[in-house]
Amino acid sequence: MGVSELLASALRMSVPILLTALGAVYTERAGVVNIGLEGMMIAGTFWGAVGSFYYGPFVGVLLGMLAGMLLALIHAVASVTFKINQIVSGVAMNILAAGLTRFLCIQFFSMATTSPQVHSFKAWSIPLLDQVSFLKPVVTGVSPLIVVALLLVPVTYYVLNRTVFGLRLRSVGENPLAADTLGVNVTLTQYAGVLISGALAGLAGTYLAVEHTGMYIEGMTQGRGFIALAAMIFGNWAPVGAMWASFLFGLSESISFRVVASKIPYQFIKMIPYVVTLVVLAGVIRRATPPAADGVPYERGGE
Amino acid sequence: MSSTTGAEIVRLEGVTKRFPGVLANDRVDLSIMGGEIHAIVGENGAGKSTLMKILYGLYRPDSGTIYLRGAKQSIDGPGRAVALGIGMVHQHFMLIPAFTVTENIILGHEPSRTFLNFKKVATHIGELCRKYGFSLDPGAPVSSLSVGEQQRVEILKVLYRGADVLILDEPTAVLVPQEVAELFNNLRALKAAGKTIIFISHKLDEVLEIADRVSVLRQGRMVGTVEAARTDKRALAEMMVGRPVLFDLTKPQVTPGDVLLDVSGLTVPGRGTRPVVNAASFKVRAGEVYGIAGVEGNGQTELIEAVMGLRKPIAGAVHLQGQAATGLTPGELRRRGLAFIPEDRHKRGLVLPMTIWENLILGFHRDPGFSKPSGLNLKSIMSHSNEMKKRFDIRLSRLENPVLALSGGNQQKVILAREFSHDPRVIIASQPSRGLDIGATEFVHQQILKAKGAGKAVLLLSADLEEVMSLADRIGVIYNGEIVAELAADQVTPQELGLYMTGGKRQTREGVPA
Amino acid sequence: MSEMTTPNAGQAPVPETPAPSRRRFRLLPADPQARRFFWWQAATPFLAILFASFIGSLIMLAIGKNPFMVYAEMFSFSFGRIDSVGTILFRATPLIFAGLASALSFRINLFNIGVEGQYLIGAVFASIVGFSLKGLPAFIHLPLVILAAMLGGVLWAWLPAYLKVKRGVHEVISTIMMNYVAFSLMHWLIADIFIDRSQVIGAGGYGSPRVRMPLIEQSARIPTMHGFFAHFGINFPSHVYVNWLLFVGIALAGVMYYVIWRTPFGYEIRAVAQNPDAAEAAGINAKRQMFRTFLLSGAIAGLVGLSDLLAYFGYLDIDFPRGRGFDGIAVALLGKNDPFGVIIGAVLFGFLSRGAEGVQVFSGVPAEVITIIQGVMILSIVVAYEIVSRYIRIQKKKEAQ
Repeated sequence: MGVSELLASALRMSVPILLTALGAVYTERAGVVNIGLEGMMIAGTFWGAVGSFYYGPFVGVLLGMLAGMLLALIHAVASVTFKINQIVSGVAMNILAAGLTRFLCIQFFSMATTSPQVHSFKAWSIPLLDQVSFLKPVVTGVSPLIVVALLLVPVTYYVLNRTVFGLRLRSVGENPLAADTLGVNVTLTQYAGVLISGALAGLAGTYLAVEHTGMYIEGMTQGRGFIALAAMIFGNWAPVGAMWASFLFGLSESISFRVVASKIPYQFIKMIPYVVTLVVLAGVIRRATPPAADGVPYERGGE
Repeated sequence: MSSTTGAEIVRLEGVTKRFPGVLANDRVDLSIMGGEIHAIVGENGAGKSTLMKILYGLYRPDSGTIYLRGAKQSIDGPGRAVALGIGMVHQHFMLIPAFTVTENIILGHEPSRTFLNFKKVATHIGELCRKYGFSLDPGAPVSSLSVGEQQRVEILKVLYRGADVLILDEPTAVLVPQEVAELFNNLRALKAAGKTIIFISHKLDEVLEIADRVSVLRQGRMVGTVEAARTDKRALAEMMVGRPVLFDLTKPQVTPGDVLLDVSGLTVPGRGTRPVVNAASFKVRAGEVYGIAGVEGNGQTELIEAVMGLRKPIAGAVHLQGQAATGLTPGELRRRGLAFIPEDRHKRGLVLPMTIWENLILGFHRDPGFSKPSGLNLKSIMSHSNEMKKRFDIRLSRLENPVLALSGGNQQKVILAREFSHDPRVIIASQPSRGLDIGATEFVHQQILKAKGAGKAVLLLSADLEEVMSLADRIGVIYNGEIVAELAADQVTPQELGLYMTGGKRQTREGVPA
Repeated sequence: MSEMTTPNAGQAPVPETPAPSRRRFRLLPADPQARRFFWWQAATPFLAILFASFIGSLIMLAIGKNPFMVYAEMFSFSFGRIDSVGTILFRATPLIFAGLASALSFRINLFNIGVEGQYLIGAVFASIVGFSLKGLPAFIHLPLVILAAMLGGVLWAWLPAYLKVKRGVHEVISTIMMNYVAFSLMHWLIADIFIDRSQVIGAGGYGSPRVRMPLIEQSARIPTMHGFFAHFGINFPSHVYVNWLLFVGIALAGVMYYVIWRTPFGYEIRAVAQNPDAAEAAGINAKRQMFRTFLLSGAIAGLVGLSDLLAYFGYLDIDFPRGRGFDGIAVALLGKNDPFGVIIGAVLFGFLSRGAEGVQVFSGVPAEVITIIQGVMILSIVVAYEIVSRYIRIQKKKEAQ
């Protein structure tokens, strides 16, 4: 097993975490904590598989993102409009998603826990780079969604820092009262942030089902939605930081696949991503600076 | 817009606004002329801010009409107000510390709908700065600016939106005298350029200095409008309060006793490499009020937190009644006779959703009087609470109500009752009258002077120079985390204090007691 | 805000507030204002349950079932048979513990999502003590097993609590990570370390051997409540496992209620939850209180698995029931973090899970529909509580002036 194969595997494993972490950046920079990303990812795995099974991977992506957004919409209604505790709402999203997909899986595939094999995208090879033998495993047989995920990093950076939408999104997460008095629609902006996070988590789920495994399996997200939140925190609420953190978690997962021949019991190998997440969070969280109004429902004065 | 000068630009007729339990504005009429500086004065709670928030569209009036340049307008939100040329500078700045000056100015009013073109914006802001004589670095993060500079950003925000009516809500409350002078220069420049300024304040000296006309609100009602040149402080004060006002408190004459609180060389680490509190030293004696004056953000909050055991100092020592008290927990300090009136009563002083009686025992809930082995002793807690209610004149309907249902003055009384009831030796009072009306402020001041008369040592922190000078016997000035001067209160002028507070002057090392 | 204060002048003096007679427990608050709000609050969960049932009806209609028939089936199956009633109580038992554990942590504004992992580790500890100590009398062995379960829960809660207090790590993420680790760890302990090597082949020589720990000694089994209920003329059949842990759970709820509302410890929990800064300034060590409360929550969580382990299975295997921790969160939210509310929520969930079996068998409606109803119920209940409590807040503010 060469280093480049390991890197290629790490990259593949980091994509779902990266996509969801980028989504988390959008929602948290708008001041809404979305612990329901795991559930939105689950919705993405299922609907991605459904779309892809019947109409091909493009529809899979579309349905997966829409499913994530639908759950995100419920989260937004509950936590932005009704201002209920964002953690509570997020937890409810996760329970709801798990129940819904299981029910729907029976309806669609007559099986509770898996779908049949579904269509994947045609894999790409990056021209020229695939001639370099060291890079070959990394740049051949690449899912287009990997490219999309990587492109979304600079795009997110640009959107946050160089567009009007990004400025308003950040202002709402830092000081919603100030933004409100300046005519920024706080509710709408927070909805946008939450919906984008749902769409990206849905996309991440679709990637897992359609591209990574080729089918839907119940519970296949394995807590990656939560790991993505950790990645976003580790990445200091910024897209580039989230990317490096996601890659670290992807690497830890791919290593856990590769330590098979050792004497370590496989249950301990399975723990690696979670332990790494704990260690990372414990080690670096002090210097992190979350948005000033993150997680605090905004109430207009003078009720 | 100078064409509007001299004509009526804003007119309010019969504006009424009711909040749960409060009639904030009661049929208020007001007329503002173009190009004037029009002050609106009144006590805290008189309805000034509410009235202005109605004009700025943050609140909808229950009834009443607003005319702008003669035309009836319905201002349903700040966006509408801005479109009509009204801008507001809030008392608590509406700035985003993490953003740059430019980002703060353009937010909500970006030059394009999609992408941000910082270059174009920068030229526009530069022009505005030149025109009105503001000096600011548009690329600097707001968190790095002084209070005066932040206020200029707020004014620029309003000008950038093309406002010709500027509402300034208590703009001088956070400034030192030197900054006030600079603000007034800016305001005069704006007036010269034809802008109309509505200036909300309760500081009558300043109002008389800057305003053309003054309107007075009392308990939500408009008392009247007078020309600034034809009135004086005493007359305005009577209009505000509805009775003659005594401006001078009489300090009880007490011979200071032993040093009860001794802070020496206290140093508190900051976010960066520089400490927020740097080798601060002072002594407070029995029967003495020691004031600490300083512009907010110069380390006074951290200093007090370090003394109270809420923050760890890296050097220095605190002695309480002659015994070492550095590094003790707040609980232990309280047991040794330290009482604490925090600067932000909502943050540090009260648990708002909990009941009044629960807040009256906060921190003393494990005292044998209030708890038995089997749990809280409700009977004795209730009789204690009823006694406190009487002694401190707390106006409440039921002790079972959450403390958030009380007015600011009564909330502060709950804190005073709690802190004074356990016979402390040393009292730390931080911004004790902030946000209170005159009645409650008087009550707080009396309690502080009474404590002094009873031989307690009082450490008083206040951003309000008048308060410090009228209550304290000695004043330490904090600047940049250092005590730069220590002065006798009856031998110093506000101007001199202001100079120390802004770093314009400092006593020589020998002048500062080690 | 300061503009909203009432001018003090002219306010009539208010009568003396009498010391409230809170000596004994009363269901309804004495004073009329509080009583009115009490009814408002009491009505909210019912509205939310109705809403969730409505959503459930839509789903049933979508799959071509008549919701009225389904609900009727659910009720008659659940309450028309004595064994169903017993089963509901048996199902509710672990949920009471899970709900109390969640509710306690929510009370201090911490989200212990790790009840799931904590009860698995608690079950592992209980199982080890249960099968390895032999020859002890039940009155020693059983308490030891219960203590072991609590210890396991505390141990698994310790790291998230420590990370939260010392390193500021958000407890939701850390407890979820701990849940995954707990399951893998349990799996390893059962399959590699404590596997029962005596049973190689299934009963009667058929099937594959079960991957499980050795059987727990009879002295550590929890007795059923059949005898107790028989006094009241209720005779549960032997395939119902309602046991004395139900009683323990109800007693624990009472203790928790008393601790939260009547002791300095509970007072500190509430003060820290609602304003840690003020609590700290008043001399309460907020972090220590959070740490202790979180560990206590873990201790209660450790008990969640005991009803299944000691009354039903008698051994710990890798198919040991999971998901009770998440149900516990739902139950706590349903009961508004009130210990007695938790009991009601747990019984409701017990009913839903028993009813789900009924409708699956007799109406052909997948049990997952009930899971969805549970999810919707949580959400609608918190939304409803939020709206009502906001209304009450405004009313109180009005009347207090």
